[in-house]
Amino acid sequence: MVELSELENDALIEIFNIGVGQAAASMSALVSEEVRMSVPSISFISRADAARLLGSRLAAEAEAPDRICGVSQHYEGAFDTDAILMFPEDKSLELVRLMVGETVPLQELTDMEQEAMCEIGNIILNACIGTLANVFEQELRGSLPEYHVGTSDEILGVSGSEPDSVVLMLHIDFALDKHQILGYVAFVLDISALHDLKEQINRYIARAMGQA
Amino acid sequence: MTDVTPERTKTVLIVDDSRVSRMMARQYILHLQPGWNVVEAGTGEESLDKARAALPDLVLMDVNMPGMGGIAAAEQLRRLAPALPISLLTANVQSATRERAEALGLGFMEKPITEARIAQLLALAGG
Repeated sequence: MVELSELENDALIEIFNIGVGQAAASMSALVSEEVRMSVPSISFISRADAARLLGSRLAAEAEAPDRICGVSQHYEGAFDTDAILMFPEDKSLELVRLMVGETVPLQELTDMEQEAMCEIGNIILNACIGTLANVFEQELRGSLPEYHVGTSDEILGVSGSEPDSVVLMLHIDFALDKHQILGYVAFVLDISALHDLKEQINRYIARAMGQA
Repeated sequence: MTDVTPERTKTVLIVDDSRVSRMMARQYILHLQPGWNVVEAGTGEESLDKARAALPDLVLMDVNMPGMGGIAAAEQLRRLAPALPISLLTANVQSATRERAEALGLGFMEKPITEARIAQLLALAGG
């Protein structure tokens, strides 16, 4: 597995902090509440380990811990990745309700749940990816968002990746004023994409130090 | 006595593959401008047909959509109606997208859709 130096790791966390700040602002406008998001840690782990980790974290938080809803988007460009936003399934309707307001009847809300989740995913993932692209001075072309429900392993496997492919796991804690909603973002990368990402981080560091 | 010609009702064309986004944009537009018309299209291709029929005063265009996509659709709309105000309304916050919008003479507004953002966009059509 590709290892990041301390400086590379620090740079990546800083970039994600900026991206998550952008995502928090977007999320706050979406749900009309103050939203605090943090990036306590990032880690590169195998897809299988990421699924186990997610499963155990969600088991402690959710009413139906084995079910996750996820929105994925594939990105190509400076590096290729599948970005996946995940929430416990039982929080999905609550999020959609916050987005569209109290006036929409429950039946209509349920009908549009998948579409609304796709739009939430689209906004949050693009806020993170867009920041990466801007910081790297590159473009990342994204696919349309897709909605999935399943176990953590099924959701992380939507890209068709192998269980030993690398997942850049970003644990985002969404803290809303009135609602405690935990979400996770994962970026699935293969080895070649991981090298490309490392190269982009080093170019960014070089620019930051005035060497490029 | 002065003749007063009633002002034509303004029409906004919302182009977005997300039904939820169209619904939110429509709701804010009609809250801000209750007398205006709102026309919706779910794809870039559909937006061209709807624009020909409705002759909108403003187009709000998503970028990432199935089919031709928002930027290609906006380019075609620009050829059909060179003076028509068109703004991208997108989650794609990348500088490359903003620069492309600027080069094509399109407005740019980030999602999520909020009433304040819609109010800014309606001003492009005199709202």
